[in-house]
Amino acid sequence: MLGTIELLERHAARCRRSVVRMVRSSGAGHLGGSLSCLDIVTALYFHAMDVDPKNPGKTNRDRFILSAGHKCMAQYAALAERGFFDISLLDTYGKLNTKLPGHPDMHKLPGVEANTGALGHGLSISVGMALGLRAAGLESRVYTIMGDGELPEGSNWEAAAAAAHYGLQNLAVFVDDNGLQISGRTVEVMNMEPVEERFSAFGWATRSIDGNDMSEIVNTLGALPFEPGKPSAVIAHTIKCKGLSFAEGKMAYHYWKPKEDELALAELELDEAVRLGEAG
Amino acid sequence: MDVKLSDPRKIFGAAVLEAARHNPDIVVLSADSGGSSGHGDFKKQFPDRYYEFGIMEQGVVGIASGLATTGKIPVFCAIAPFVTSRPFEMFRNDLGYMKQNVKIVGRNSGISYSDLGATHHSLEDFALTRMIPGVTVLAPQDPGEITSAVYAILEHKGPVYMRIGNDPIPDLFEQSPLEIGKGRILREGSDVTVISTGTLTGAAIEAAGFLEARGVSARLVGMPTVYPIDRDLVLESARSTGLVVTVEEHYVIGGLGTIVQEVLSEELPTKVRKLGLPHVYATSGPYRELLAHYGLDAPGLAASVEDFVNKAR
Repeated sequence: MLGTIELLERHAARCRRSVVRMVRSSGAGHLGGSLSCLDIVTALYFHAMDVDPKNPGKTNRDRFILSAGHKCMAQYAALAERGFFDISLLDTYGKLNTKLPGHPDMHKLPGVEANTGALGHGLSISVGMALGLRAAGLESRVYTIMGDGELPEGSNWEAAAAAAHYGLQNLAVFVDDNGLQISGRTVEVMNMEPVEERFSAFGWATRSIDGNDMSEIVNTLGALPFEPGKPSAVIAHTIKCKGLSFAEGKMAYHYWKPKEDELALAELELDEAVRLGEAG
Repeated sequence: MDVKLSDPRKIFGAAVLEAARHNPDIVVLSADSGGSSGHGDFKKQFPDRYYEFGIMEQGVVGIASGLATTGKIPVFCAIAPFVTSRPFEMFRNDLGYMKQNVKIVGRNSGISYSDLGATHHSLEDFALTRMIPGVTVLAPQDPGEITSAVYAILEHKGPVYMRIGNDPIPDLFEQSPLEIGKGRILREGSDVTVISTGTLTGAAIEAAGFLEARGVSARLVGMPTVYPIDRDLVLESARSTGLVVTVEEHYVIGGLGTIVQEVLSEELPTKVRKLGLPHVYATSGPYRELLAHYGLDAPGLAASVEDFVNKAR
């Protein structure tokens, strides 16, 4: 019998394979961030969140907001894996009129809660959701993934102040801190360090974790809220393109437009990871 | 004769409060703006449904979207440019693209914050908000219509932008419930149609009286819904009188005048003169003097309409 962690890692391996499946369909995609946040997304959909693929709009569901909407391949992979739609839909990624656009659209795909993509929007929307859920007397939580590269957007800090002011303990944010953005290392492009202390100074309860370590992620989810009456921020240190050996930690793979041989290499490696996971 | 004048913000706030008594989903959001938006009594009577955020309009529009996803009907009113141009992308994405049932109200619109200068004027808010697919844009014209418009937008499902002024306004016409997308004929006439919206309809009515005395018969159409426009009424009026003049406290490009021209140029090419603010940063001064400076008081409007009609004759 598999333990929780092994099971989640098996799902994560399959989701990583699905990400590359989408790149095959489209010819390109935001690979780096999709793979860096994927372990967290997997743990949310398969361990933490109360969601029902058969009733995606149920009132008391937990909400997932991908503020860094360009990492949508991670969410699409997890939604498919969780049964929100047939996995073959992934083969429409990048195609005309797909339900899986390059940034998520709540009106096209069940399980998507907000139309993110423009950075610096997701946290405000999350704060409003958390306020509304609390006002309705629901225990539901809002889980938000932000990219480290979007932290300089000022609107984030408007929302961060509001979340603390209203004591939104039903809100948890994961900052997918993979350390890289299009123009270079995030600390060199615009240094927002110390990120954890910034959230803390805004009135959040915070933790730093290895965001690609499933045990740490699961332990962290179990500890929410970190403090009663405060929103929780997790600074998740991750590796860009985690799980794809030739791309890990490399800036060039933020947006990946692979040649056939590299794509085939990726498929081979991730097929093998899935096989190893199934062999358990 | 004493004319009863009402503060549009107080009328607005009272209408929201009245609607909220019957609909528990209505919540009010404030960016340090609620008190000046007429929401003082709402805050007292429904403290749990009144959310203060301080001055963060981008955040508030996003938060309004999130609240709306849980079934709330957020109403957010502040100085017009701060709820339109400043958080434009949040309006576009979080309200428009997400199709959320949020009511954004710009007060002290146009040049009504006259002496505070161009930072506080909103002369492009019709243009900005009508560009967002699915957004309904309103500018009610008198106290009764503001009340009626509040009830209508709170019944309407979807994002709305409504603008109100600041200056006390008189009752202009017998009330009938406002129907979104419908204009009303305020006066019949045969030489020209004057289509007016929002804060300037009072002056337009007065101007029509001046024009009559000078032998110009003006049909007057009040257009509380700027977008989507009442196409049938625009076309029927143009067919009936020929010439059309539009009147708005907005730039002469991008707003009511442009929308009317779009309809007419497609279906019934008609000469249109657009009255409003020139496309510059407006100067500052006392409100009434500023309106007169730009020819947007009753004598100014009458003179422009008469000139237009005479040139066409």
